[in-house]
Amino acid sequence: MAMSDTTPAPRASARAASGFRLDWRTIVLVLLVLGLAYQVVIPFVMIIWTSLKTVRPGDPEFLSLTVTFANYARAFGSSGFWAATWNTLSFATASTLAAFIVGAFIAWVVERTDTPLAKLIGMILIGRIIIPGILITISWILIASPNIGILNQFINQMFGVRNFFNIYTFWGMVWVQSIEMVPLTYLLLSASFQAMDPRLEEASTMTGAGNWRTLRRISLPLALPAALAALMLLFVTSIETFEVPLLMGGRAGIRVFSTEIFFNTSRTPIDWGLSATYSVAMLSVCIALLFVYFRLLRHGERYQTVTGKDFRPRRIELGRWKYLTSALALLIVFIITGIPLLMMIYVSLLGFYQAPSWAAVQSMSLDNYRTLFSSASAMMPMLNSTILGIATATAVVLVVSLIAYFVHKTQIRGRKLLDYLAFAPIAIPSVILGSTFLWFYLLVPVPVIGTLTIIGLAYLTKYLPFALRFVSNSMMQIHPELDEAAQVAGVPWWRNFFKVTLPLLKPGLLAAWFWVMVHAYRELTVALMLARSENRTAAVLIFDFWDRGSFMQISAFGVLMFSLLLVLVLISHWIGKRYGIQDQH
Amino acid sequence: MKGTNFKAALSALALAGVVAMVFPAAAQQWPELSPVEKIYADLAKLPADERAKRIEEGAKKEGTFILVHTLRGELGNGHINLFRKRYPFLKVEATADIGSQDAAERLYAEETSGRHLTDVIGIGLPDGREVLAKNYAARYPTPATDKIYPPLKKFNDPQNRWVLFFWSEHGMSYNSNLVPANKAPKDWFDLCDPFFKGSVSFDPAETRFISGIYNIMGEEKTIKWFECLGANNPIIQRGHTQRMELMLAGDHMAQGDNYLYQGLQIKKKNPSAPYVIVYSAPMIASMGGSLINRFAPHPYASALWMDWSVTDESQQYISNQLRGPVTMKHPYLPDDVTLVDNLDPPQDVADRLMAAWMKNVEKKR
Repeated sequence: MAMSDTTPAPRASARAASGFRLDWRTIVLVLLVLGLAYQVVIPFVMIIWTSLKTVRPGDPEFLSLTVTFANYARAFGSSGFWAATWNTLSFATASTLAAFIVGAFIAWVVERTDTPLAKLIGMILIGRIIIPGILITISWILIASPNIGILNQFINQMFGVRNFFNIYTFWGMVWVQSIEMVPLTYLLLSASFQAMDPRLEEASTMTGAGNWRTLRRISLPLALPAALAALMLLFVTSIETFEVPLLMGGRAGIRVFSTEIFFNTSRTPIDWGLSATYSVAMLSVCIALLFVYFRLLRHGERYQTVTGKDFRPRRIELGRWKYLTSALALLIVFIITGIPLLMMIYVSLLGFYQAPSWAAVQSMSLDNYRTLFSSASAMMPMLNSTILGIATATAVVLVVSLIAYFVHKTQIRGRKLLDYLAFAPIAIPSVILGSTFLWFYLLVPVPVIGTLTIIGLAYLTKYLPFALRFVSNSMMQIHPELDEAAQVAGVPWWRNFFKVTLPLLKPGLLAAWFWVMVHAYRELTVALMLARSENRTAAVLIFDFWDRGSFMQISAFGVLMFSLLLVLVLISHWIGKRYGIQDQH
Repeated sequence: MKGTNFKAALSALALAGVVAMVFPAAAQQWPELSPVEKIYADLAKLPADERAKRIEEGAKKEGTFILVHTLRGELGNGHINLFRKRYPFLKVEATADIGSQDAAERLYAEETSGRHLTDVIGIGLPDGREVLAKNYAARYPTPATDKIYPPLKKFNDPQNRWVLFFWSEHGMSYNSNLVPANKAPKDWFDLCDPFFKGSVSFDPAETRFISGIYNIMGEEKTIKWFECLGANNPIIQRGHTQRMELMLAGDHMAQGDNYLYQGLQIKKKNPSAPYVIVYSAPMIASMGGSLINRFAPHPYASALWMDWSVTDESQQYISNQLRGPVTMKHPYLPDDVTLVDNLDPPQDVADRLMAAWMKNVEKKR
């Protein structure tokens, strides 16, 4: 065993790989590939197979080798498919660009400048992630809906203009979706901004370049991997997103892939074939994006900023402009977090929805909160979600760290396959993922149905792509000289990975862990499909409120979740500080 | 419910024809009994008291009952809790988070895979088509169904594969703050009045609603209604309860399709809610019940549930929640309301109607 514990240099590693030398690293790699194949390939085979069948899973004919392109002919031959394709792509493009511009601005302000209140701005934005998208969408409907939207009523009273805003439009959808994704953009970029070596910027400044020129010529190009990853993730998130198209798109008359899949799987009889065909279309878009992403980043060494030399990221001094950036960032955070939160607080105090008025104020009470606290059945799902959130986030982060290491720090042939495998699930809609896991474990005699394990396994697949991009960005910034130094010192590969690589990845790891934990906590669709009596989650509770149409109770729940999150963020902030994350500032 | 219109509407449905049309398996030979069905066949030979005693004893031995209840959330949980109180010796593993179609889909998936994990599912009758066609529902003859309100007995299954215990109604309603009395809709076609342009809401295409409208109007008239409705630019928005909240808040004038009890529930909390139900137009009745898995792991506990679901205790709960009970008078619908079922029309008709809805009403972009 001893012979295999020492990590060879990258080039030597390539030689070793070509010679099929068995060492610990190869064993881990093989296990990783097998694990990913199990978690990822099976759902894909299921989806593609279903798209080639006109009978549903479970039918004896489903397993026959006869395939047909009837579903593709049906989809491609319908104007609805092309309309949905156009709507999906235009909606995703517009939302992605808007979210990216705003998110990147805030990440830069918070991480790289001396803007006052920067930390507070970042914390509020991260705290915003836990509020489920469905609540944000409902809030904006109540804010800017024609006839009853608070903004419209205000404008009508002030200027006599009726229905100035209409949230039920394409641009209304883009607005809500993009502000929903700004915190994700911030989270994706901030870790990368934290890991930037200031010496490159200082060198630029010393040559006489100003802040703007340095930003344009040095800082932005260095952030390219993170920026591209963010753009790609935002784009596919917009393609897969469900709440905004469902709640607003229907009324706006705009159908996208995710709603087409939903409607095809929520009618009797369920059209599995057509749903799978739409999934394959989504998958194709995502694979094309990933291919472009890898092409653009094929020279990963250009973006390495974390080397063996110590550094502290430089904060750009903005002078008097810092007050403007602070005000602007605070305004954006207020729009993204404050307005919907205020709306939720207002609605959570009402017995029934009504526009703000003196009568509304008089009718306010804490009844919705009392009802929540008195519901004993809420405890078990909350505990289940906490366990799922923490366990999924930890497992996902460990797996993606290994994947990122093999992809970016070794020369092993075929390593990109890991990246493709781990990223591919982003194209699987949750409803399809949930049903695939259900079918698979019904057919395979592994006793996980009705347990948290089956939901956790599905979440592992679902959140790999996002976490991988968080961690990959950070991994690409680590210079191989650190690895090489460890090898020269005779440090075993695994020890180097845990003692050197992982600590250097902390910002990306924490961001990924937090993101997965929060999303696993609030995920609904998969949980609903795999839930039994003993493994219900908190999101299922939210769905119950939503299903009962209680804007008021669901708002109260949202306010409570947000408050809980603030506590969690403060704790994670403290942990980060305790273990040195903030030392880089 | 005792009104002549209601009776006439129900009587118009020839039972055998309906069942044969909706559930193809009904017209076929009964297949061989499963072990669970053999138990039920034996129980059916016993006197009522002895039968009830045997079921309870069997359930005690089983100790567990696995149920998917499709009256979701608190409504379903409240119902289950009553059952738990009545039979405290049973550990009830219940799911009340999914709808009827998903429940059928779950049973279908489990049984197709040869895994017998569920005892009983709740079901809206139109959603049971595939489960019944695949013969996954146990034949459970029970005297409990004798209590079912006579006009609803037509919806009992001659093969005893389900026991009805509730029904829901779809119909028109409006916001009286936005619609003056002289403009109030009285019939489905009134929603085509330009007065309602852009201010009548529907959920996206739902087979059960479209089927109900077909049973009210017939194919030709239904398509004409879709055309004029589409010209009036209706609001298509997912979520029955949410739409009701929005309408009563003043978002739009009227709803062409919603569960009417939802507005009444809001009115219970807020008596000033401007909610008016249109009783003059025919309404769509959606029948719901329970069915036992043909290979249920706990057959006696399942039987206990089925019989309990039509007891006064269960039915009073259904009524208190403003749903339609099957053994007693409806809590709020007047006697003379016209009710029509929504069991599916023939597939070719259903396809044409769905296409007409998509083309004219939803006008998918």
